[in-house]
Amino acid sequence: MPEFATLASPYSMPAALHGDVDLTDPEEQTQTRALNQFLAGVELKAFKIAQAALRHEDDALDAVQDAMLQLARAYSARPPEEWKPLFYRILENRIRDMQRRRTVRGRIMAWLPVRGEDDDEEFDPVAQAPSLEPQPVRRLELDEAMGALEQALGRLPRRQQQAFLLRTLEGLDVAETAQAMGCSEGSVKTHYFRAVQALRAQLGELHT
Amino acid sequence: MSRVDEELTQFERNARAILEESARRIDARTRSRLNQARQAALAAAGTRRRSWWASFTLMPAGAVAAALLVAVVLWHREPAPTTPVALDGQHPAVEDMELLTDNDSIELMEEWDGSFYEWAAAQSDGGAESNS
Repeated sequence: MPEFATLASPYSMPAALHGDVDLTDPEEQTQTRALNQFLAGVELKAFKIAQAALRHEDDALDAVQDAMLQLARAYSARPPEEWKPLFYRILENRIRDMQRRRTVRGRIMAWLPVRGEDDDEEFDPVAQAPSLEPQPVRRLELDEAMGALEQALGRLPRRQQQAFLLRTLEGLDVAETAQAMGCSEGSVKTHYFRAVQALRAQLGELHT
Repeated sequence: MSRVDEELTQFERNARAILEESARRIDARTRSRLNQARQAALAAAGTRRRSWWASFTLMPAGAVAAALLVAVVLWHREPAPTTPVALDGQHPAVEDMELLTDNDSIELMEEWDGSFYEWAAAQSDGGAESNS
């Protein structure tokens, strides 16, 4: 069991069942459907953005879940066109909180006796065994490009990474990115430009 | 195609394609957990809307109850006490009341004989001088 997994199991979330959501009101039904559609549309990209920032799958899942809950509780009555920048603003705040907490935890752990990272990990020979099925060359190239890009993104300063992912992966325009990042449009352009320059310097021309 | 595509260079378009492919390859376990998170968020939004409406539907009952409470409090409220208040806190007002209500005290005040007291004072002064 991962150390930081806090998402509820499917058996402990009765409120999440469809039967608990009162869909008798047509307006409420429409709003719920719109919110579901929005969240389903952003959840994978949001997870990738959180994962790039936090470099931890369970923390990334927690961050996305918190952002979804807060958007639903506090802003679901807002017009749907406002949801995307709001959602990413909430997600960025959550990521920042987690990074701060992690820094504090790191300082505390530095005082404790050293413990091996793999103590909890059991060796799984099946998972570690190479697949007998030969991978297509195309897929292999894409895997390599993906790994290189994700590593290069991980080396970027946080704000540059944020601007690049929100603009490139999520497709937000400059104004929406500025709203999500809580800064001016000029800052977004600067962060984005520097991110592209740094990535190009590290990766050369990417091929897909 | 999104509205930002026109502004993207080849490098950015390739980066985008790679990142989108990476998002598409997210494993089933993670997708399932994201789906659970989404359902929980939808349930939370539904609960919030219901509680908001419930507060409106209960508002008339709450207003009536509050009005009744105020009426009961006003009905049973005792009148303010009319006991006299001591002036400057020096002597109690009860003593003043006794002076005013006591008939003997009033008669003594009415029969005030200032000349007698002046004579008595002169006598005592004179006596003291003659003794010394």
